[in-house]
Amino acid sequence: MSTAAAELEISPRARRRARLRKRFLRRRLAVFGALLALLFVLMALLAPLIAPYDPARNDFNAVLAPPSGAYLLGGDDLGRDVLSRIIYGARASMEVGVLATLIAMVVAVPIGLVAGYYRGWADPVISRINDVVLAFPFLILAVGLAAIFGPSLTNAALALGISRVPILVRITRGEVLALREEDYVRAAIANGAGDGVILTRHILPNMVNTLLVQATITIPLAIIGESLLSFLGLGVQPPTPSWGVMLAGAQQFLVQAPWLALFPGLAVFFATLSFNLFGDGLRDVLDPRTVS
Amino acid sequence: MPLLEVEDLSVRFQTDDGPVHAVDKVSFELDAREVLAIVGESGCGKSVTAMSLLRLLPDSATITGDVRFDGDDLLAAPESRMRDIRGNEISFIFQEPMTSLNPVFTVGRQVGEVLRRHEGLSKRAARERTTELLDLVGIPAPERRVDEYPHELSGGMRQRVMIAMAVACEPQVLIADEPTTALDVTIQAGILDLMRELRERLGTAIVLITHDLGVVADIADRVVVMYAGRKAEEAPVGDLFAHPQHPYTIGLLGAVPQPETGESSSGEGSRRLQEIPGIVPSLSEPADHCPFAPRCSRADDRSRSEVPQLEVVRPEHRVACFHPGTEADAR
Repeated sequence: MSTAAAELEISPRARRRARLRKRFLRRRLAVFGALLALLFVLMALLAPLIAPYDPARNDFNAVLAPPSGAYLLGGDDLGRDVLSRIIYGARASMEVGVLATLIAMVVAVPIGLVAGYYRGWADPVISRINDVVLAFPFLILAVGLAAIFGPSLTNAALALGISRVPILVRITRGEVLALREEDYVRAAIANGAGDGVILTRHILPNMVNTLLVQATITIPLAIIGESLLSFLGLGVQPPTPSWGVMLAGAQQFLVQAPWLALFPGLAVFFATLSFNLFGDGLRDVLDPRTVS
Repeated sequence: MPLLEVEDLSVRFQTDDGPVHAVDKVSFELDAREVLAIVGESGCGKSVTAMSLLRLLPDSATITGDVRFDGDDLLAAPESRMRDIRGNEISFIFQEPMTSLNPVFTVGRQVGEVLRRHEGLSKRAARERTTELLDLVGIPAPERRVDEYPHELSGGMRQRVMIAMAVACEPQVLIADEPTTALDVTIQAGILDLMRELRERLGTAIVLITHDLGVVADIADRVVVMYAGRKAEEAPVGDLFAHPQHPYTIGLLGAVPQPETGESSSGEGSRRLQEIPGIVPSLSEPADHCPFAPRCSRADDRSRSEVPQLEVVRPEHRVACFHPGTEADAR
């Protein structure tokens, strides 16, 4: 069988995927970001297997110890291993990152769909309320909500997710406004499709790319947000390890033991960077308008 | 009794610059198996007329009049009844085949969606029927095409898919809004042949919206000429081409290039392509005079102060003009 004939056997969907994968793999930074993000996710999932010590174990010889062979990233003020705590801290960051993003999407997308598709009275009402909430910066809003909800990991995710809803509503609505004018939506209406079919089969699937890119923007924001909330005592509570909690504890020892602040800070930095690079690459690949 | 009866259909759009009377008291009938062409310049209201039949216009449009189909008044029927009719009993084919298919689903799934909705077919049965339909509309290798995405098909193939979707439920009426305008001339002929064939095979009546008189001559049984939202003339296709009565129709026919019989295309005997002077009038006011009067060489004081009504001038041939007649009659 010739190669041309063999190629015809591959389904169009698989061909499209292969093409997208190839385009993504050409972007080195994006691939680097994706791998790094994957590393953080694996770190969170496999923490008990890869952490050298129990993150709560105290070794009085390691109190404020600088990095050494036994404690690669040093020890904190209670003699706990910084590396192990960073590895376990990835759990809080990833959990909040993913949970907050899911919450934001689940709340924002339906609201945006209704506002953008039905217009009528719903659109101005939703949009004006949205504008008011949008006036609050993301982190300020999250801090306020977290203070109301009370400190816990779930509440931090909830606060961060809700704080991200307004911008996602705006993006969803904008996307729906454009998509509802598409000829294929008009054609679907002419073929007897109802609103439910139009929204779920014709509009939503066509904005998956946009939403995926928004997710890769929301995850790092939520990771930073989690650190901030935990730093302020509004998120994960000690002794549970979290990068924000670690940063808060490191404050008093900045002079004696700067590595206590440095390493969790780097963890936040690289976790955020990885998702951002990944998201940028994803947007370039998925959004046909950016293809040169 | 005609299959589709349109009486005094008027459409008004509410715009920021005030109302626009896009369609003004248009009436026509469509019999089973008949091909009715609606012709006119861009902006004469032909597409709006077509879309208003299925209530596909945006909310800014106010539609009045009667559209009777199969015992229903389509302008008064509840939205749920309209959804049953759309794509099932009356189908619509749009002008833009390139963008009328959803890019994220295979064409098979999209045609199948219509079948599953209106005929309640199972996924498997819909797929089988879709393959048959793609074959019917002349798509080669349908069992493979059924799994392809719209971007993998050419414009002509996509329009065939759109037609397959439109005829999937064997509708009684097919409304085609410039179905061939966006396509190459060679592909146009194929699409017209296909529509003719479908009419023969399925007995579908067709309302064809076009500005292309070549298409009209090719396929239509009867022609409605629209001007500025009003019906200017209506006649069987042969009679219209042989004895056009309305000066606008005569102008339209004069604007169609005719091949020269001699060798030279300049020189003696060559015929200049006639344009119609002037522009289409603004539709912000309902007409209080013949809307064509400003562009018409036959216009007189009466044309400028009274609206001409449709009058029968020949068998089955009606025209809205105070001075009807062919060019030869008028001289």
